Amino acid sequence: MIRLENLTKSYRTPHGRKILFRNVNAIFPEGKNIGILGYNGAGKSTLLRIIGGIDYPDSGHVVSDQRISWPLGLASGFQGSMTGRENVSFICGIHGIWRENKRKIMDQVQEFAEIGNYFDAPIKTYSSGMRSRLAFGLSIAVEFDVYLIDEVMSVGDVHFRRKCETVISEKRTSSSFIIVTHAMSVLKKNCDVGIYIGDGQVRVYHSIDKAIALYQAGVPDSKVSENNMPSALNV
Amino acid sequence: MSVVNNIQEKTAMGPSNSRSVWQIQRDVIFALLLREIKTRFGKWRLGYAWVLLEPAMHIMLLATIFSLIGREFYPGVPTVLFILGGIAPFLFFSHSFSKGLAAVSSNRGLFNYRHLRPFDTVVSRVLLEFAIYLLSMFVLWFVLAWFGVRVAFGNFLLLIEVNILFFFFSLGLSLALCVVGERLPEFSKVLPLAVRPLYFISGVFFSLEQVPVEYHAYLAWNPLMHVIELTREGLFANYEGKFSNFEYFTFSSVGMLALGLLVYRAHWRDLVRSQ
Repeated sequence: MIRLENLTKSYRTPHGRKILFRNVNAIFPEGKNIGILGYNGAGKSTLLRIIGGIDYPDSGHVVSDQRISWPLGLASGFQGSMTGRENVSFICGIHGIWRENKRKIMDQVQEFAEIGNYFDAPIKTYSSGMRSRLAFGLSIAVEFDVYLIDEVMSVGDVHFRRKCETVISEKRTSSSFIIVTHAMSVLKKNCDVGIYIGDGQVRVYHSIDKAIALYQAGVPDSKVSENNMPSALNV
Repeated sequence: MSVVNNIQEKTAMGPSNSRSVWQIQRDVIFALLLREIKTRFGKWRLGYAWVLLEPAMHIMLLATIFSLIGREFYPGVPTVLFILGGIAPFLFFSHSFSKGLAAVSSNRGLFNYRHLRPFDTVVSRVLLEFAIYLLSMFVLWFVLAWFGVRVAFGNFLLLIEVNILFFFFSLGLSLALCVVGERLPEFSKVLPLAVRPLYFISGVFFSLEQVPVEYHAYLAWNPLMHVIELTREGLFANYEGKFSNFEYFTFSSVGMLALGLLVYRAHWRDLVRSQ
């Protein structure tokens, strides 16, 4: 279970503080996959990072008894001059995974990333594809109760994306996901619960379709725009 | 029983739920230390030898200059050893200083892992610098002794006491500086300039007795001078730092550590938080 208590978060802008959400209280049901929707800059990623414990709200708390991952596929923690193996080893270390379990994870990552001997080359020599495969492989190899996904499915080639999808659907049996994306198809396929962020509020809907409907209500769809078009252009 | 086993098996490949705060702290510091060692020394051809070469070169350069001008700083203590006793602690201090200032900005990417906070990067860096400092000082001591440059060893217990205090002094300073470096970026440009004069007024290559008496009262405020004098007292049997004051240094170390912890505690979320 993840509970948000009186969460307030604002940003500093040249025109004063912009409030993303204020005094949010919400309970995310356990074992459900959650999709977060909202317009650009609404604070989706920020909320995800606050849930993950790597960003902090202005006030309020996130209460949880679950092991929450870092945002999936994140490569910014990698050190370019170290090899892939050393980087993986380091991240296992900070999560308290040593010796045999670490070795198992290394093998899994190497296999998933399909980088073969490059695993022992410095990361700065990797192509961007190799780097993101390594990052994704690592985040999925370490076991968590809840995984955070921030638009990761949109990177990489088709082969990689399909692989990610397969691995995520496998993982769904043992863990749950919190996903931020603009791709409605991904949300529909993966999520049970929808969260809509907008107007300084975070609303939890117990079906993803409801949240999507709300999100799309604000999007000028084709019908609306046709009506708004000047009549001269209407053939 | 089987339930317990099941849970353990299930969590084996992930972070364990039952890790205590101290275990997490230990895991993070240990992983960071390994990483620092690899990134700092792994890339050069001489690799780990560089740990010793840097202070060695520094000391040899100064020692050569002062030997050439035929200067003896302290009767009965060879110039090279005298400088070793000053430069080794000073290098530790100055490294902790600059690493502390940059601790947040140069590790930004690592804060995406929730257990790893600026505190851990500061602690691991100061620990590593401390280990390098002690190692280089003792190896150089023995190398010099091998070549016949030796004096009777002083007070080992004093050396240990002073260095434990010195570690906490530098840790406190680095913790305070990691906040300063991030919250007041203007200062992080100016502050390194303040370290350089310290090099000259901390007794790295003189003993306070050689300074005119009217300045003693001012120079004696500098805790770094006390470290250096006390370290020399610990190293050389016949050295007596006339102005070194163990109580004063104890007091400044505890004060500095308290300051660092308080400043960090008051600001640590702001170091990581998106503004």
